[in-house]
Amino acid sequence: MKILVAVKQVAALDEDFEISSDGRDVDPDFLIRDLNEWDDFSLEEAVKIKEASGEPVEVIVASVGPEEVDESLRKCLAKGADRALRVWDDAVRGSDPIAIARILAAVTKREKPDLLFAGVQSSDQAFASTGIATAGLLGWPHGAVVSTLRYTPGAKTAVFRRELEGGLLHEVEIQLPAVLTIQAGINTPRYASLRSIKQAAAKPIEVLTPADLQLANDAVGEAGSLSRVRRMYIPEKGRAQLIEGSPAEQAQKLAAIIREFKGEAA
Amino acid sequence: MSRTDAVTRILFEAFSKAEIRIFYLLGYAAIAIFFYGVYVQIRKYRRGAALRLEGSLWSRLGAMVGSVLSHRTIDRRDPAAGGAHRLIFYGFLLLFAGTSTITLEYDILQPLFGIRFWHGDFYLVFSLVLDVAGVALIGGLIFMMYRRGWMKLPKLNYARPDRVPGDVDFNRPQYRREDWAFLWTLLIIGATGYVLEAARLVWLHDRVDVWDTRWWSPVGALLAEGMRALGMGAHGGGLLRHGLWWFHGLLALVLIALIPFTKVKHIFTSAASLMVRDPLASQRLTRVPDSQEQVGVAKITDFTWKQLLNLDACTKCGRCHEACPARAVGAPLSPRDVILSLREFANATLESGVLPDAAELNVHGKGPGQVAMETLWSCRTCMACVEICPVAVEHIPIIVQLRRKLVEDGAMDPLLTKTLQTIHKTGNSFGESKRKRGSWSKGLPFKVKDARKEPVDVLWFVGDYASFDPRNQKVSQTFAGLLHDAGVDFGILYDGESNAGNDVRRVGEEGLYEVLANANVAALQSATFKTIVTTDPHSYNTIRNEYPDFGGKYEIQHYTSFVKQLFDSGKLRVTNPLKMRATFHDPCHLGRFNKGYEPPRDVLKLLGCELVEMGRSRANSFCCGAGGGRIWIPDPVGAEKPAQNRIREAAAIPGIEVYVVSCPKDLTMFEDALKTTGNEGKFVVKELIELIREAIPAALNTEVA
Repeated sequence: MKILVAVKQVAALDEDFEISSDGRDVDPDFLIRDLNEWDDFSLEEAVKIKEASGEPVEVIVASVGPEEVDESLRKCLAKGADRALRVWDDAVRGSDPIAIARILAAVTKREKPDLLFAGVQSSDQAFASTGIATAGLLGWPHGAVVSTLRYTPGAKTAVFRRELEGGLLHEVEIQLPAVLTIQAGINTPRYASLRSIKQAAAKPIEVLTPADLQLANDAVGEAGSLSRVRRMYIPEKGRAQLIEGSPAEQAQKLAAIIREFKGEAA
Repeated sequence: MSRTDAVTRILFEAFSKAEIRIFYLLGYAAIAIFFYGVYVQIRKYRRGAALRLEGSLWSRLGAMVGSVLSHRTIDRRDPAAGGAHRLIFYGFLLLFAGTSTITLEYDILQPLFGIRFWHGDFYLVFSLVLDVAGVALIGGLIFMMYRRGWMKLPKLNYARPDRVPGDVDFNRPQYRREDWAFLWTLLIIGATGYVLEAARLVWLHDRVDVWDTRWWSPVGALLAEGMRALGMGAHGGGLLRHGLWWFHGLLALVLIALIPFTKVKHIFTSAASLMVRDPLASQRLTRVPDSQEQVGVAKITDFTWKQLLNLDACTKCGRCHEACPARAVGAPLSPRDVILSLREFANATLESGVLPDAAELNVHGKGPGQVAMETLWSCRTCMACVEICPVAVEHIPIIVQLRRKLVEDGAMDPLLTKTLQTIHKTGNSFGESKRKRGSWSKGLPFKVKDARKEPVDVLWFVGDYASFDPRNQKVSQTFAGLLHDAGVDFGILYDGESNAGNDVRRVGEEGLYEVLANANVAALQSATFKTIVTTDPHSYNTIRNEYPDFGGKYEIQHYTSFVKQLFDSGKLRVTNPLKMRATFHDPCHLGRFNKGYEPPRDVLKLLGCELVEMGRSRANSFCCGAGGGRIWIPDPVGAEKPAQNRIREAAAIPGIEVYVVSCPKDLTMFEDALKTTGNEGKFVVKELIELIREAIPAALNTEVA
């Protein structure tokens, strides 16, 4: 039995960041890279299934990205993934979630897992569509925003719950193979000690190109994308001021501001 | 035969050959049991991991003999117990030496070489000495019984804070029974020795060589006079002597046989522990070799033989139990019980002929003898236990080794997990951008040099708290101003500096510590400076004691001693004496860890402050509770925090105006505790740096270079 876990290395903004010269992204110098928070939970869920299983379960992590992503993959290997796959070449640059999903679908066809896990969304772009799009491309059933999962390796179906608005729970039985997007909080992700990350360097990270996966160049990158980022910018700041003084003075100033706003004379 | 020749110890007189044979047989049996026990114990220690000791064996032996003979370590913080132990120790030592020399002559020298010395004046003097030794022994034992039975010392209460009543190993009554059995056995051996001596005198009172020299055994003679006054004759004396001889002898043989199996073995294990002590055991933790697959201690056999010996060295004196800040505030930890628990575990698993399965050797958990993770995470690694232990038990390395395994398993508070991840990602525990590390210096009227870009005399290692915590940033600015005013050529590493790793290492995250230490050593290597000064005692400790293992050997001072030098050389001068009533809190890592007790006190006095010491100061300083990574783990709600306990101690000083600290974490912990104990407004918590600034208002200082 196999579980494929799709993970992403996300970017977090550093202090005083700048927008890159083309105006479509943050200057990479101002980004701190780390594994997407949701992916910690989906990997943990896969490793938990593996550890509780009587039969052998292989957990494979896959990611799309350049060499620096290996650092995050090594963390996944330290936490219990058996092997890792990374897909990259320059043609992949500029891919939107759909193009990424094409790559993940190709990886899935190659690995033939029983389950594909992805995080509900990534913390940097928050499209929340990569996992679902992959299911669409594969023609597999999917469950989105899974907050509890019951699955015994070997079984043909899995049962999961989703939290709906108003405190409702949605319990769903799903036919395998399937794609599940995992919600944060489903479990408590384990800590990968630096020592274990170092030792995980011995586990293999296989690097593939789209061509290795029989993907044409126009299936990935900007050419294979259905959307395009026009620009990224910081909106102009609204006006805000701190009103100081005693409560009476504050009230007076506030009243004056309201009058001014309404166009009344002070 | 001359008169003096005839004067000698009466040994087997009036014993039948058969009796003597039986006695020897029993004697050999006792010695055989003793040696078998020694073998079992040594086999137990050898089941631990290998360890090579550094330093010469002779200097180790010398240091151990010095400690044992002087009783220096046993006297500390309990001189009465030290004095009584000294009486017992020397009494026992002399009596044992006396008995041994008799054996030496009677069984070895005389039969083999015909040499006799145990007669005449030598015998008489020895007999006097042994009589006095017996008084010392019995006196010491009676005091110890009084102490155990009537003084009700909390440190001698074996109830465990990490167990609840009803647990099989909650208060361990077997220890109490053993304590009393030991005291009574020694007392009975001593007392029957005297009665035996008196009975012998009564029995042989018509022999001049015996009776005329009786006052060389004053206690025995006094008792003999009493017995005769009560009507005992030679026949009665003889019978009593014969019976008591056997009783006394057998009891002594039983004691010898049982040494390796009972607390009596501390005679050997405590001495051996003192001999293998590492004076830097807690200051400089051991590296994990890259080749080593497993990190930390999971099984009892993962401890080194020295640590297993440490477990057996413990005499349950309770000094660590008393000193522990976690124990003092009701946390489920007593350093004594960690040691005793592991000892019970080692005895149960490692004393039998065959080693049990690995699964049965796991020391982590809540079963008998195991150590719970709650216990391990309660430790502040403040070193109070190691510092006071009279027999050189090194608790901190044992606890950190156990924690390393917990970290590997991820068995820790989620907030601590988060902090470790943050430190890995950003190099600081605040989760702030690396770039912001030097931002606190932006508000200064002068530019703080970047030591990576231009050479400086003094490299100031700022540390996390002083760099990022808003309250401590103010102190950092003040210190920068002081250095500037004193004309010191100094700089910092800006974003080249990372968390020094002292506490990360004491949490047990050795891999992350390696990353931090290597990063800082590389950054320091890229800078040009003469000496390092740090305002952070935690950084001070690890850079001073642990970075050398990572290729970073530097001259480093804590700011207190550096500032003292600035005063001594006239670069700083007090212009506004403070005249405050102050008390000083020794930071663990400056005081106990690195013996920096005097400079902060000297500076305080230079500032014109009246220094009033708290009851627990210097080596006995009471941890603020932030050490060992505890600053990143929330304390239980409702329970007293160590810092609160400490502030209450300070608040009891009449007229106290300022509680002086010299550690960023202390400032955070104690300002909080001042508020939560309701002492706000009564006195203030201040960094020594702030007081120095008050005593040297910037404008008045004329020493600007």
